[in-house]
Amino acid sequence: MPSKMKACEEHRTALTDAAAAAIEPSLELRSHLGGCPSCCAAFSEELQLFAAIDTGLRATANSEVPASLFPRVRVQLNERPVARRSWVPALAAVAAVAVLIVAIVFVRGFGRGAAETNPQTIVAAHNDLPASTQTSAQTVVPIEATSPSAKIRPIRPVETVSGAKIEQVAVLIPDGQKQAIDLLLARVRSGKVGGEVLLVEKPEKTLEELQISPLDISLIEIKPLEDVSADSPSQDKNTGR
Amino acid sequence: MQELVLIQPGRVAEKEFAQQAARAALRREFEECLAECGPLAYRVARGVLHNSADAEDVAQEALLRAYRRFERLRDRARFRGWLVRIAFRLAIDRTRSSKRREARETLWSQSAPRPSTEDLAAASEFQAHLDRAMEELPEKHRLVLLLAGMQGHSLEEVAEMLSLPVGTVKSRLFFARKQLAEKLRCHRK
Repeated sequence: MPSKMKACEEHRTALTDAAAAAIEPSLELRSHLGGCPSCCAAFSEELQLFAAIDTGLRATANSEVPASLFPRVRVQLNERPVARRSWVPALAAVAAVAVLIVAIVFVRGFGRGAAETNPQTIVAAHNDLPASTQTSAQTVVPIEATSPSAKIRPIRPVETVSGAKIEQVAVLIPDGQKQAIDLLLARVRSGKVGGEVLLVEKPEKTLEELQISPLDISLIEIKPLEDVSADSPSQDKNTGR
Repeated sequence: MQELVLIQPGRVAEKEFAQQAARAALRREFEECLAECGPLAYRVARGVLHNSADAEDVAQEALLRAYRRFERLRDRARFRGWLVRIAFRLAIDRTRSSKRREARETLWSQSAPRPSTEDLAAASEFQAHLDRAMEELPEKHRLVLLLAGMQGHSLEEVAEMLSLPVGTVKSRLFFARKQLAEKLRCHRK
């Protein structure tokens, strides 16, 4: 009996495969099914299971298409026609960006050039000065722009604590002096140094009037020629000739 | 020395007319494909989602995408295969992103009564279990099952649609059915 059970187990696997593949069992299997009622019942059950699966699959796979599908698709097609690939929008966008960049560069360059050519744009006043020192920022300390790479900030009005508007102006700092200016401003902010150090007046250099002394020309004596010739040895003596 | 340029205003109109005619021809051709393959897209989506409204949305999206690529998909066989794959992929994506899956899993975990094999096919529970078991199958097996289950699709047609050898389709179908049977048998016992 155990050998028969073992044979049934092996056959059942083969029978399940046959049912899964929807093919007729082999001759050997059919002969076994003829003499084994339990395997025959199991195979019948397997066939019913696969038939149920197929029925369910067909029901799933052949569901009725709703009538609203095609009208919906057509509406969408009319609203969203085929977008043909074109380089024109991309090129237009690139060109717009390029023009924008050129415009920005031009405007900045023009502003810098105008500031450099204006001799009065030489001022010292820091944007972040404390309120106590901001009022004194109206007085400016001139710093000579000796370097062409000196930085210029745009002029803009700033309202002080007292409400008075000051024209806060750009600082033109030569490269070599930037560190020193930063240090000074840091000390001013911390209160170690008073803001009055920024208020040094520019020494006025006035041109002195030229003092022209009158020419000191000795009177010329006019003598007759005979006298000159008579006096000549004495003159030679005087001159040493 | 000046160069004279002859302006031909009619050419622009001719070009536009030709483009419009080409678009109209494309649209007509697509309408034919829509009538032929539209149900296929819907059924594939329905087979994955088990929900008519969602399947309709997915089928619509798949068909619109197909229209956008229609110039490259004018070969009918290619079009069907592409449409099936895109509908299946969209449906899978929607299933994954949907919270309804969790609800279905809860439903699946509830113990159902044990009907006989004969009753199972007719019972709606069996269909629910079948749908759930299908969701657990590998995607490639599921798609083959769906396409083979559709009326009028031979294994050769399924193979052509999926650009696969017929032997591969048969093999996938066999393993898919076996896996389904194992899942449903376990549940039945």
